Amino acid sequence: MKKKTVATFLVVAALVGSMVGCAKTEGKDANKESYTIGIAQFAEHASLDNCREGFIEGLKSEGIEEGKNLKIEYKNAAADAATNAQISDSLASGKNDLICAIATPTAQSTFNAAIDSDTPVIYTAVTDPIAAELADKEGNPVGEVTGTSDKLPIEAQLKMIREIMPEAKKIGIMYTTSEANSVSAIKEYKKLAPKYDFEIKEAGITNTSEIPMALQTLLESSDCLTNLTDNTVVSSLPTILDKANEKKIPVFGSEVEQIKMGCLAAEGIDYIALGKQTGQMAAKVLKGETKASEMPYETITEPGFYVNLKVAEDFGITISDELKNTAVESFTEVTAN
Amino acid sequence: MSFLIMVLEQGLIYGIMALGVYITYKILDFPDLTVDGCFPLGAAVTAALITKGMNPYLTLPISFLVGMIAGTLTGLIHVKAKVRDLLSGIIMMTALWSINLFIAGTSNVPLFSKDSIFKNSVMDQVFAGGLKRYRTLIIVAIIAIIAKVLLDLYLKTKSGFLLRAVGDNDTLVKSLAKDDGNVKILGLAIANGLVALSGCLFAQEERVFEISSGTGAIVIGIASVIIGTSLMKKFHFLGTTLAVLIGSIFYKACVAVATNWAPPWAVKGTTAVIFLIILIVAESGKAKVKKHAGA
Repeated sequence: MKKKTVATFLVVAALVGSMVGCAKTEGKDANKESYTIGIAQFAEHASLDNCREGFIEGLKSEGIEEGKNLKIEYKNAAADAATNAQISDSLASGKNDLICAIATPTAQSTFNAAIDSDTPVIYTAVTDPIAAELADKEGNPVGEVTGTSDKLPIEAQLKMIREIMPEAKKIGIMYTTSEANSVSAIKEYKKLAPKYDFEIKEAGITNTSEIPMALQTLLESSDCLTNLTDNTVVSSLPTILDKANEKKIPVFGSEVEQIKMGCLAAEGIDYIALGKQTGQMAAKVLKGETKASEMPYETITEPGFYVNLKVAEDFGITISDELKNTAVESFTEVTAN
Repeated sequence: MSFLIMVLEQGLIYGIMALGVYITYKILDFPDLTVDGCFPLGAAVTAALITKGMNPYLTLPISFLVGMIAGTLTGLIHVKAKVRDLLSGIIMMTALWSINLFIAGTSNVPLFSKDSIFKNSVMDQVFAGGLKRYRTLIIVAIIAIIAKVLLDLYLKTKSGFLLRAVGDNDTLVKSLAKDDGNVKILGLAIANGLVALSGCLFAQEERVFEISSGTGAIVIGIASVIIGTSLMKKFHFLGTTLAVLIGSIFYKACVAVATNWAPPWAVKGTTAVIFLIILIVAESGKAKVKKHAGA
């Protein structure tokens, strides 16, 4: 008899508790709950670091703050496939409420590891989630996995280059043949280039040591260079800029950091903003407002135009005021990385 | 528990590769860099065949055979074209990068929606309920043990004896009127068959082919072989091939411990320190049995 009353009391208490819990998550008082998340990042790299920083900021803007109600376990695979696999397995072993995966190989590996534990995976810096099979052909998630894509606004970039360099014919692009993101970007560049009367000169490399020779070939045959978000190439950007400046060939960038370092201009991505957007998506999943499987992946809302006026001046290129005014940010000096 | 399962899974997958590296590095005394290209070769073949709808179990023997071809080519370059051992491996590894891209079509082929040797309707029934979390481990262990036993049996055949003799003393092989070059080629073929098989398993376990997955594979392989053979000196009953598999598990455990408990920047350094400690501990007791040459 007594046992029964106790049991009933417990059931009622649990029900009330869960209802109160629901009411709380729906309201903005999420601070009471506390979360543990894992962040898996493929490599040490400025853009990817920015994604991570933005992600944490995005969570914070939704009231989930590290040190207060958020515990973060951060792992970095140092661009090593074997370590990458081990990190995914250990993060997905059930102790985390959510995993943030940064860059395509990590997103795939984490998704694969988390399938069985049903831990939601929120990825960022994945250029083509459909090709990576993280989303189906319609762009819907294939499981508890969603996030943001850092697909380059290639058409906008071509249009911008045409506007700044009306005479240019050939655009040189260097990329790493092992990076899926770059390969798909090259394809799109080649498809869209004729529309703006450009010809694409490509140079594929496999690692940093091959950059000097590939660069030499490109500089001989192109009127300007443009960058993808290729990890290997971007890591060597200072060398590339140095050689290109010597030959008076302007280099266009693909994101804001590259413009700061001395690329002429970009219709590109701000990885911190991308990370923030991702963090806000993650917050929704953590608070239980929606499930990852119900949220299609997102791309950066608007490409931003970035220009370095100092570089333009050095090349004797005039940027029309019209174009200048559309810039999200313009720089007047070159800052070494 | 899941930590241990993960280490065992990864350790055994790479352990098969380490068996291959054991043949070249330890038996033949041949620093074979083909491994860095051959591991993703197995993965590329697997991804291409599974995408085309082939039964995933068939990819195991096919990867092995394709790996053997790669090893044979390295052997031919070394023996017939008289290119130095290190260099012939480098040449093959370099060529394989393009070959892998060609076979797979692109640098990254996801297999999430496809059946694998681990996930298919039959295996889902066999490993239901509580067994599910051990599924990958059990399948990997079975394949690793089969590979180990077959290799042991082979090493006991006449051809296997010759293989071991070439590494230790190739004049002996010549005095038996045998061509030591052919024996070397055969050894390289078998070794790279095992490496490609390991790549095949890795692609199916991770369910993705990634061109860069082989970078540094030879380092993992050699480290595993060294840990394994050092352990062997303390625990003689293990047998070398089993010791190599265990060495690979130890190596993966080093990495796992480092990635779990060290801050991201310190992971590689911590791995190195743990690796060193294992070696010192394993070597400490073997002073009395100095110089256990070869296998």
